[in-house]
Amino acid sequence: MIASGSAAAAQARPTAAGVFFYGAGLHKRFGGVQAVRDISLSIPRGGVFAIIGPNGAGKSTLLNLMSGLYQPDAGRMIFDGVDLVGLPAHKRVRLGLARTFQKLRLFKQLSVLGNVIAASHIHHDIPAWQYVVHGAAFGRDHRRCRAQAIKLLDFVGLEGRASVHAASLAYGEQRMLELARALATSPRLLMLDEPAAGLNAAEVERLLERIRLLREHGMTIVVVEHNMDLVMEISDRVLVMDYGQHLFEGTPAEVQANPSVIAAYLGATT
Amino acid sequence: MLTVALQQGINGIVFGSLYVLVALGLTLIYGVLVQINFAHADVVTIGAFAAYFFTFAFGGNYLISIGVALMVGAALGWLVNAAIFAPLRERGSELLPLIATIGVSILLQNAMLLWFGPIPYAFDSPYSNKVIRLWGGTFITLQNLIIVLVSALTIVLLYAFMKFTMMGKALRAVAQDRETAGLMGINPNQLIMLTFVIASALAGMGGAMLGPILVLTPFAGTSVIVKAFAIVIIGGFGNVEGTIIAGLLVGLIESYTTQFVNPGLTDIVVFTLLLLMLALRPTGLIAEKREENV
Amino acid sequence: MSSEGRPALPVLTNRVRISRRGWFLVAAAIIALLPFVIQDSYWRTNLIVCAINIMLAIGLDFILGYAGQLNLGHSAFYGIGAYASTLLIMKLGVPFWMAFVLGMVLSSMSGMALSIFAVRLRGHYLAIASLGFAVIVHQVLLNWISLTQGPLGIYAIKPPPDIALPGLPIISFGSTANMFYLVASFAFLFYLLLDQLVRSPIGETLTAIREDEISASSFGINCTAWKVFAFGIGSALAGAAGAFYASFVGTLVPDAFIITESFTILAMVIVGGMGTLIGPVWGAILLTMLPELLRGFGDLRLVFYGAALTLVVLFMPGGIVQAAQIFRARLGRLATATDAGMRR
Repeated sequence: MIASGSAAAAQARPTAAGVFFYGAGLHKRFGGVQAVRDISLSIPRGGVFAIIGPNGAGKSTLLNLMSGLYQPDAGRMIFDGVDLVGLPAHKRVRLGLARTFQKLRLFKQLSVLGNVIAASHIHHDIPAWQYVVHGAAFGRDHRRCRAQAIKLLDFVGLEGRASVHAASLAYGEQRMLELARALATSPRLLMLDEPAAGLNAAEVERLLERIRLLREHGMTIVVVEHNMDLVMEISDRVLVMDYGQHLFEGTPAEVQANPSVIAAYLGATT
Repeated sequence: MLTVALQQGINGIVFGSLYVLVALGLTLIYGVLVQINFAHADVVTIGAFAAYFFTFAFGGNYLISIGVALMVGAALGWLVNAAIFAPLRERGSELLPLIATIGVSILLQNAMLLWFGPIPYAFDSPYSNKVIRLWGGTFITLQNLIIVLVSALTIVLLYAFMKFTMMGKALRAVAQDRETAGLMGINPNQLIMLTFVIASALAGMGGAMLGPILVLTPFAGTSVIVKAFAIVIIGGFGNVEGTIIAGLLVGLIESYTTQFVNPGLTDIVVFTLLLLMLALRPTGLIAEKREENV
Repeated sequence: MSSEGRPALPVLTNRVRISRRGWFLVAAAIIALLPFVIQDSYWRTNLIVCAINIMLAIGLDFILGYAGQLNLGHSAFYGIGAYASTLLIMKLGVPFWMAFVLGMVLSSMSGMALSIFAVRLRGHYLAIASLGFAVIVHQVLLNWISLTQGPLGIYAIKPPPDIALPGLPIISFGSTANMFYLVASFAFLFYLLLDQLVRSPIGETLTAIREDEISASSFGINCTAWKVFAFGIGSALAGAAGAFYASFVGTLVPDAFIITESFTILAMVIVGGMGTLIGPVWGAILLTMLPELLRGFGDLRLVFYGAALTLVVLFMPGGIVQAAQIFRARLGRLATATDAGMRR
């Protein structure tokens, strides 16, 4: 089963040229656990690329490797021509990579608006001295960031909650805030780590809408998800992982029909 | 020369065992609570004073005063946990409990200062003067021998308790994963309280034995506590074996520095070692990985 | 800790800005008038100590309250500033103000060094590392006798040199009034500087780092650089405080910078309300002045500190600022603030 998967992967082994996000031979080990083993992927510009797999398959680890939270033990990663290996997470943001987290990481002491403004860190355009003496450029930047933040809150449906403490939002709203914050960095490739976790059906639908809108605007989206309906609905391509390894990659329809994928999910104990 | 080296080695082990007693308490508390208890130092001091008053005001036996100090320590541990850590646990802040213990520590130290005064108390144990000759021309006072024996016995008992008894295992379970332990029917709050009581009892004992060899003032504990922190870090927070090794190591380093380098520099050497450990191996000599869940 | 739908911490509105300028004018006026109101030399001394403590407290708040770095070694930066500036003046004949700046720079550099060293250390490890650093600095000051004269201390330190401006009478800093104006003005300026920084995107950046570093770096924030920045600024202020302390008190002993001093500064920040900048000012004033007002309880000063710190953490973790907010809320002013917050 694994053999046929990697044979297919070997045939489809991508080259870096022209691929928006290219990863090859990625390995990551934690103590005794090989979380990611020899993963390669090439993500084209535009569209939704999903990463699925049973629990413990290494999906989040892969995302963390892509966003720079972890550095790979081996392998290459190239984003739009820029070599990512060794580049720390905060530098990748300026290249246009953004992400949300599986476990909510909101700035609890700030307001909803404050959270989004804080996330627009890389877009500030203020000469150093104006941080001390707040001049004209400071004012302009302040207004621009606020306006942009409010637009983003509109987009995710939180415009009425702007001045509320982030900690007092409902769970579904907090997830939307996560999305708004990631969008504040103006990404070209957005990585969503289980964005639908804990959402009810209506909230998932709203999330889907937004992902569709983003895709229409040309954003490339990578989604790690457990919610199969969401994945099948929205994705253009799906990568299936199991035990940290490449199991299968294809369109949603192909994935659903693939016997090794089905076996992996049925055979999984968690 | 060899004699001097051996002698310092023995002194190092004596002090080291005391440091281990104090540091074990800290590391146990950190293991279950992931909190640093700054007031631990003052439990040591109060233990010393308790033993002093028991021996000199009540005319009790010194050895029994160690037991008294143990119980006083235990009571203090119970109090600190009940009054500070338990109420703050719901808030979920990492810094606040630590700061609260700093406040308690300042409070206790200066209250003791008012009560007992700054002049050192002459805590002469009846065993301080009896000397036992050992091999190689070295010697050890009966007091120090008692210290080593009592500490060793306590450490062995504690170790056995942690590894072999149901309660000890439950304690380690709570240290590893409080939520899951709770789901398995273990009451984490009770165990945390137990940890505190044990840890502070150890500190009290340490104080009783330190009394005769250190300068007994309200600040006696402070001189030990920062070293105890160093030991806990070098050994690894929450790591019992590491703490034991690190404690003895620090004791030895201290006595050798005192003898062969310069007594004024012992603190600098120990803390430079601490900073080096933090730079190179923050998780301690025997690393225990705690993966952060992203 | 937060209630449902409670309005967020105040962001700038026009209405608030006017009050801010107003408050600054009030503060400046108070500083200007205090030496006239308080003529007693003893109390003027307390005012100067108060100003020094304010400098220390707001510097620590920048590091601890805003950047969220648990720095227990602030006493070291204080001491480094004091000794460095003094030794430069007395041993190398450096003019006062240059030594002052160099003292700040040295303190700042040691702060940044500690920060870089501790960059991977979280919470408790950083606390211990900073404590260890403070112990080492204190021990060095105590034992490097050829440099610092150790426990005997350095004596006969002169106050800042007279300032002779054309057409004005000579300003001598031997007078407590002038010394107060000098130190208080610097404290005021430093507060202004920090306040401006904190109300700029820098403040948000530091808050983000405090709240969640991983999250912050996912928005492009270079956490290491900003932590070093916070330490650099906070410790520079401590260095300035040290230089003023030395030139005001006139003698310098290592035990003035023992680690307990870190704890008292911490107490001022917490009791005042960490992360609010104005809170530590109140905390410094309260914890400096109140024990003096309760004189006759001299030795109770530290007991008071300890009790205040513990009780604040247990019952009012936001300190004086939180207490004031609750008080204002009870007076119903919160409704008006909510309107101002919404109307944008």
